[in-house]
This record gives sequence, structure tokens and C-alpha cells, in this order.
Amino acid sequence: MKRLLVDNFGERLTRRLAGRLSRRSALARLGALLVAAPAFPLLPVQRARAADESKGTDFSREAQANDNTACNYWRYCGIDGNLCACCGGSMHSCPPGSQPSPTSWIGSCINPADQRSYLIAYRDCCGASICNKCACLGTDHAMPIYRPQANNHIIWCIGANTFEYHCSMAVLVGLAE
Amino acid sequence: MKRLARRRGASGVAAVLLSSAGWLAAPAQAAAPADQATPPVLQSETAGVTPFPGLTPHELAYSAMDAIAPPGIRIIDGDTAKLVGTVYSSEYANFVWAPDNRTLYVSETYWTMGNRGKREDVLSIYGGPMLQNQGEIALPGRMISDPKTHTFALSPDAHYAYDYSFQPAPSVTVIDLKQRKVLTSVEVPGCGLVFPFGERGFASLCGDGSLAVADTDAKGQYSVHRSKRFFDIMNDPVFDESVVDRKSGVALFISYDGWVHPVHLGDQPRFDKPWSIEEAAGLSAATSQVGQITWRPGGQVLAAYQEATGRLFVTMHEGHPWSSEQGGSQVWVLDVRQHRLLKRFDVPEAATLVAVTQDAQPLLFALSDGWLWVMSADSGAVLRATQVVPPGLVRVRGH
Repeated sequence: MKRLLVDNFGERLTRRLAGRLSRRSALARLGALLVAAPAFPLLPVQRARAADESKGTDFSREAQANDNTACNYWRYCGIDGNLCACCGGSMHSCPPGSQPSPTSWIGSCINPADQRSYLIAYRDCCGASICNKCACLGTDHAMPIYRPQANNHIIWCIGANTFEYHCSMAVLVGLAE
Repeated sequence: MKRLARRRGASGVAAVLLSSAGWLAAPAQAAAPADQATPPVLQSETAGVTPFPGLTPHELAYSAMDAIAPPGIRIIDGDTAKLVGTVYSSEYANFVWAPDNRTLYVSETYWTMGNRGKREDVLSIYGGPMLQNQGEIALPGRMISDPKTHTFALSPDAHYAYDYSFQPAPSVTVIDLKQRKVLTSVEVPGCGLVFPFGERGFASLCGDGSLAVADTDAKGQYSVHRSKRFFDIMNDPVFDESVVDRKSGVALFISYDGWVHPVHLGDQPRFDKPWSIEEAAGLSAATSQVGQITWRPGGQVLAAYQEATGRLFVTMHEGHPWSSEQGGSQVWVLDVRQHRLLKRFDVPEAATLVAVTQDAQPLLFALSDGWLWVMSADSGAVLRATQVVPPGLVRVRGH
């Protein structure tokens, strides 16, 4: 129930924004929103998983918590792209020469160390040429592009001043439970 | 190549220039003995462009996977597996052929300083006898994403183009191709992609499992309404990559677990009962239950459709739930009228894209990250193969 509420909130927010604003207006307001982004770490949207988390997922069964440069690191259940941890950055820090996008897609991944589910914001680092190291594709509950908040195919450099994709981070937001 | 030319020095450059102008005869040759037959002197040449007579029924056009391959739209002849020509494009481009099969529309985006500067979204037009640029139409925005077939489409009569935009409010830009101008942008809140129908209508898939349907009134103004929810978005969403029977206007939306949802596109869409690809093969239906390993659809452009025979080609793999992007070790051929599996074709390595030609001797194109296999669409025999850059999208004549 909690998950559904969270999900509905994200959808309502998206619809409200999309319904009320012209695109230019949306961009302008997005800019304002981005300035305040640190205060709203869950925005703009998020999703929650519908699966029964007590059983884990096919990804989490094989996931590990030791090596964040490997695709089966637990936070990468929904990532798509080059791991910033292999490119001079970390899971929450862009490599030098690039900049974090203020927008992100969201996944929820199970940490094998405590078997709890955490919200992960996948943020692209933008501006530098593609890193091309540690290409990973996590599709655990990844959604199609028409449900963008959980889609990893969109170039999430929206709001950055460049669309050049460099790498992707997996920033821990908090518990998803 | 440029470096080699420079090393030749000024004299080499001058010779090339003279040659291209037609001034220089054949290069000097060593004197041959008088008693041997002397080959004729080679004739001077004029540089030009090979004509492009239009996309033939057996040709495949494919774009490159963004960021990891040189952009461009490449045309390969399925009868020879050779490259026919290439059209320039930006990264994150989409493209579609006009019904004349000679005019190519490319939806693309540029920045004035490469990775920054002023952004320009355009619909570029290529055509004429040698597939040259014919101008552009400025667009108000675009979706920048990995390749998705249904972000760009033409109306059935090719009068209008529809371009899906996400910035991040989702909308569809309607372009009048005859007048070469943008008519309007239609907001589709909570929805994405574009599936045209009728004269000016289109549908978009929505994040709650419904369709958004947009159509015009007598004054040409668009209004949008939502259909009922017809699939379970959280547990078994339908792929972005689905196919549409253009003659009947029936879209076949395929879900991650292999359920085919036939939808008669229109102002009031009609939803046929979904059927399972796995059940059509005599297997139990796939589910999203953790740990269930079975045959599932997966890949990038994972489905192709042949209208004349009603055959659906899907890349299939054995995998667990949510393995939706895993390429297929097989291509399954299904009869969409009888919901029956006809054949299973093995592919040499996991294929992530498929396309099928629409003629009477159809070819099936299966692509991996580095290879294109040209197969018989009837028998599955691999007829020929060629290396390709990592592919993004595929189009054949009529689809």
C-alpha cells in the first residue's frame, strides 16, 4: 500500500506538471526545481517495485555488496550504461570533466548485506565523452520509455547544460520500505 | 586517410586535384617490350555520386547504437549483404522512409558546439536521385534516448509526421510534410511513443497501462482521451517495440512475459483478447514469478511483422522475469491469426534486432551488436552475413 501511494504520487506529479505547463514553461520551472533539488531528493519522480520483495528478485539473488565496479553490485539492479565508479568517479560522484544531471530515474534494489530494499537514484554524468568502461545493463523491474521515471534508456541529462552522456551513478536515496 | 594524403606532399595533392578535374590521363607506366600486346591506356574519369533508385524490397536501412558507434543511417542490400549507401545523422536520431521509398526523413538533434551550445532539433529530408539533403524542418523538441522505433512515424498517407518529444513533459509534434512546417504539439501527459491511425490520429502508450488517443475535430484541433487499462504495467508491461499491421490498423503490443495484446487503433480503440507466445508454442505461459526460467521475448527491436502472411517474428531467449533486453538465441515465427507457433529459427549469436521484408520472397534480418545475418524468412536458413556497427533501429520498405 505504501508503495502504491509513493507510485501514485510520482504519477500525479508528472501528470500535473505535464498537464499544466507548456514545454518552455516546464523547462523554466524545472530549472527552479533543480536548484531546490537537494531539498527534495526523491523528486522528480520515483517508482516502487510491485514484486514481493520478501522473495527477492532474480537480480538480487545473484547480487553482491563488495565490488562496485561489477555489474552485479546490488545497487545496479536498474542501471544502464557505464559505471562512474570505473571512470574516475564513484557511485555518487561524477568523474572530473563531467557534471551530474539534476534529473534521474529510480529503481529499488535489495542490499544483500541486510536484505532491505533501498531507493536508488540513477543519475547520469554528462558533458564528457562517453567513458566506455564497465558497461552494465540492469533490467530488474525497469520500465518502458512511456513510464519514464523508471526507464534507463532515456538520456537523463535533462536539466544539465549538455546532453553528452559520460557515465551513470547509483546514488542511495533511502529505504524503499 | 587524410593523414596519408598529407604525407604525400604537395605534388601528390596537386596530382589528385588535376585528376579529379579530368586533366590527367592515366598514370605513367613502365615501358613494355614492343613485341608484347600493350593494354589500352586507361581512360580519365569524372568523380560523381552513384545514383540511388530507392530502397528496394530486399534492402535494410539501419541506424547506429548511440554513443558507442559512428552515427548514420546505412543501407544494406540483403541480396548481397553489401553496403549500398549511408546518410548522415546525429546521435539519437530516428528515421523513416516515405512511401516512394526514395525520400528519407530523419529526426535528429544537434548542438552548435558538439556537446554544448544552442540545441537544434530538426526533421531532415533526404531524397532525389542521389539521396542528398533536401532541407530541414525545425522542431520544437525531441526525445533524446536510446533508439526506439515508435518515437517517429508517418501518417498512413505520409502527409504528416509525428515526433515524440520529452523535455520532460511528453508531447507529440505534428508536422505537415507537404507544407514543411510544424502544425502543433499535442501534450500526452503520462504517456509516450506514437502509433498513427486514420488521417491524423495517433495513440500513445501510457504509464498506467492504458492508451492515450489523440484525434482531430472538424476544425483540425486535437483532443486527447484515455482508453481503459489493458495491461499490467507494474508486473508485465508491454515493450516499447511493438508492431502494427498498417493495412488493418491493428497494433500488436507484446509484453515482457510474452503476451500479445492486439489493439485496433482508432478514436475508440478495440482490444482483442491477449494471447501468449509461449502457449502458442505449447508451453506454459511465462509469468513474472521470481525464478521462473522459460522462453521469453527480449532484445532491442525484438519483433517484426509480415503483413501479407500475418507472421510475427520475435527474438526469444531462455531467461528469468525482467530479462527483457536479453537478445534471442532463436527467432520464433508466429501466426497471429491462429495464435500458433510456426517455426523456431536458430541465430548464430544472440540477436537483439529483427526486420522482415514485405515481398513474396521475404528475407529475415537478424542483428547482434556486430553482425547482420540475412536469413530466409521461410526456412530460417542463413543466406549471408556481414559485419555491422552496433545497430540502433531497422527499417525495411513498407515498415
